[in-house]
Amino acid sequence: MNSLLSIKDLNVSFDTPRGMLEAVRNVDIEIAAGMSVGIVGESGSGKTVLSRAAMGLLQGSNVHRTGTVVFDGHELTAMTRPEVRSHFGTGMAMIFQDPMTALNPVRRIGAQISESLIFRLGMSKKDALKRSLELLQLVRIPDAKSMLRKFPYQLSGGMRQRVMIAIAISCNPKLLFADEPTTALDVTVQAQILQLLRELREDLGMAMVLVTHDLGVVAGNTDYVAVMYAGQVVEFSPTTKLFADMRMPYTEALLESIPKIDHPAGKRLLAIAGRLPDPTDRGSGCSFAPRCRYSQAKCLEESPTLKTDPDGHLYRCLFPIGEAL
Amino acid sequence: MFNISKFTKPTWLSVSWLGLMLFLAVFGSLLPFKSWKFVYENDLGVVPFSPGHILGTDNNGYDLLVSLVAGTRMSVFIAITAVSLGGLIGSALGITAAFVRGKVDTVMSTVFNVGLAVPNLVLALALVSVLATNVDINQAVPTWRRVMVLIISLTIVLIPILGRIARGATLSWSGRDFVTAARSMGMRDRKIIMKHIVPNVLPALIAVAFLAVGVVIIAEASLSILGVGIPDGASWGGMIARGRNDLEYSPHVLYIPIIVLAITVISTNHLGDVIRASLDRRESKV
Amino acid sequence: MSKFGFWLQRVTQVLIVLLLVTFGASLLLRLIPVDLATILIPNGSESEREILRTEIGLNKGPIGYYLQWLGNFVHGDLGKIYFSGGTETVSGHLAKAMPRSLLLMAYTQVLALSVAIPLGVISAYRAGRRTDRIISNVLFVMSSIPGFAIALILIIVVGVKLAWLPTLGYATYSEGIWEHFKHMLMPVLSLSFGLIATYTRLLRADMIASLREDYVTMAMSKGLSDRRILWKHVFRPSSITLFTSAALSMGGLIGGAIVIESIFATYGVGFEIFVAIAGRQYISLQSCVAVIALFYVFFNLIVDIGSGFVDPRTRDRRVNV
Repeated sequence: MNSLLSIKDLNVSFDTPRGMLEAVRNVDIEIAAGMSVGIVGESGSGKTVLSRAAMGLLQGSNVHRTGTVVFDGHELTAMTRPEVRSHFGTGMAMIFQDPMTALNPVRRIGAQISESLIFRLGMSKKDALKRSLELLQLVRIPDAKSMLRKFPYQLSGGMRQRVMIAIAISCNPKLLFADEPTTALDVTVQAQILQLLRELREDLGMAMVLVTHDLGVVAGNTDYVAVMYAGQVVEFSPTTKLFADMRMPYTEALLESIPKIDHPAGKRLLAIAGRLPDPTDRGSGCSFAPRCRYSQAKCLEESPTLKTDPDGHLYRCLFPIGEAL
Repeated sequence: MFNISKFTKPTWLSVSWLGLMLFLAVFGSLLPFKSWKFVYENDLGVVPFSPGHILGTDNNGYDLLVSLVAGTRMSVFIAITAVSLGGLIGSALGITAAFVRGKVDTVMSTVFNVGLAVPNLVLALALVSVLATNVDINQAVPTWRRVMVLIISLTIVLIPILGRIARGATLSWSGRDFVTAARSMGMRDRKIIMKHIVPNVLPALIAVAFLAVGVVIIAEASLSILGVGIPDGASWGGMIARGRNDLEYSPHVLYIPIIVLAITVISTNHLGDVIRASLDRRESKV
Repeated sequence: MSKFGFWLQRVTQVLIVLLLVTFGASLLLRLIPVDLATILIPNGSESEREILRTEIGLNKGPIGYYLQWLGNFVHGDLGKIYFSGGTETVSGHLAKAMPRSLLLMAYTQVLALSVAIPLGVISAYRAGRRTDRIISNVLFVMSSIPGFAIALILIIVVGVKLAWLPTLGYATYSEGIWEHFKHMLMPVLSLSFGLIATYTRLLRADMIASLREDYVTMAMSKGLSDRRILWKHVFRPSSITLFTSAALSMGGLIGGAIVIESIFATYGVGFEIFVAIAGRQYISLQSCVAVIALFYVFFNLIVDIGSGFVDPRTRDRRVNV
């Protein structure tokens, strides 16, 4: 596989007043050019930290990252920050969950889009604004011209997310990290944004990492899915195969928490009984065991390792679904 | 609220320094010193750390250690009295205004705004200079009356400052569920205020009160430098004002009260910050 | 509520506060247990005093006196200062003193902000590390030392011991730019000392809060340099509180300036107040307090309007109030 992004044994932890918080543990992921990978998990499972750590966006003296991240042949984890930066925008870009907080509230839309063009591609201010207009049209914003002069607070949520996508694709990145791009939006707008991302990806040949808590979002939009729990990848397989033949009890529980059509809009689902384990205290045994409906005595003692099916389907379970007990 | 075992070194230093100042203020008169008005005619402008005069004397022959102890008593007395009075009146007004709302609140807020529309020191200066005017203008105002006037004026200055903070804190607390719950149980307003509002607002007020002590000490000194505070070097400000005459040949006369005043203000500010920080932590846990 | 309605309400509030402040000041004068005319011209004859009483309205009740004072005030007549040899107008004195005080404050703000902004940005960027801790501790001590203490120490060390700078007086531009700044330097340093600490702490706290925002991570993911992110993306939204409090501190600065001006004999508004009190010229005091309150409240109003231009969000909020 011609790998675009290769993450090997990535660990991320934070110093907190309560102790060391292990947010991401021993994660390996390979992403080929043009491929789309979903990272799914509950909030707190480490999926957002994983995507930010991969790009090296986590800052601060309390952040500890080990492992290697190789992007497009360059080992990011061995580079200085300015060197890593030189791959942002043109190589990797990111869009965020809440476009309200991810767009700078005091700067105009035009300035925020053209900034990358000017500083990453060396365009003149005039050309950059012209290109910004094209980008806004590309993400199908009506009346794009007047949009350049507006501030984020003057836009609707869907429009803001489109603006953020326009910023992210402005320098033709090879890989787009989309961190819960639709969570803050209405259901109808969600579908539009996902549609837009799909089309842009095909047109530009971009690879994408789609981070979401919603297996339903992953279904039609990704080639592969990595399911995360308590900082670990617990299942990894092609998307279609995952839905047809899931091995991990956690994934099954997650699937059951998807809202059905007849579910009242806006009502939060009680996802999975129980809570995520304390990230500062990783005890022995399977992290999911206390909440798992299939859990056995052994699950509480022995930490499962990542097992591989002959077809490349990975899972981290001692008693996977579909296996005789 | 406090955890003594978590005190850092600066916090211990602040507490000890303020303890020392308080001790001097209360028991200073019991120390075996001559009167602070006693003039050592043969020891003029003695530098600090000289035998007989640990902190030296000024050019008039006053012993600076003795002056300092007397000055500490005055400055600490003024600061504590003004902050207690201002805090009591201000928080009573602020809490009532915020709890009762309506017209009372409008009137109180306007009064606070009027007080805050004049800079602290300008207000204190105007009050002191007018209130301390003697009936017989050719006669000096006696010190006890100056002290009274100073305390009253500084109290008036503090009322809107502390009142507004009490009002703000009360507004944020009185909207919470447990107050509504207490009301729905038929608890009287007075009891709700005493049981539910005051205990919650108090820590924030104490934090500000520490800062207010610093403000008052500096204001008293400023007024004395301007010649309307405590005369004859009887307070820290008074010592500074008198020391200005010796500035060229005996700068230590100025340095001593300035250093003591500065360390005291640093200590009260630091403790105010510590209390506020522990409050913020408590709030973030809620 | 419409924008116009909002401003109308705001201006009305300000006017009410101003009326109450000036009324309070004039009431205070009438509370003095002594005859004001006797205080103002202690050496005058009874007939002269009688004329004075009628002239400034002392023969009327407190409200009549206030209305007369207010009428004169809005017409630019701020009363007189009485000397044994004659009188001078308060407005004449203030016309000379005001520009000096404003210059003093402007220099102070420029110095304080130009030191505090880089310090605040650096300590927010290095938050929790050594640089930040050192800056914080030094600033904390600085913020606790009153301006007059700095002024007196400067006078002893720089003025007397080293004899580099004049310790008294004021020089106008026409007396030489160099002379002007030599006279201003120590007063400006004394006044800006505490402000530097206040401003740096404010900016640091705001910048640290802003640095946690998603739009900073977004800016990082665009591949921008730290320097550009700090100044273009973080400083601007964080600077609102800083500039607001800078404008609001003008009031406190006037107070601090009284002491500093009287120590350095800078003949500004503060010094004018000092002289008015020392000479018991209470009409002058009343008018000076009114002028200061006017300026103070006026500044607050400007801040309200100005913050809308720095932060577009508040512009919108205003309209929706």
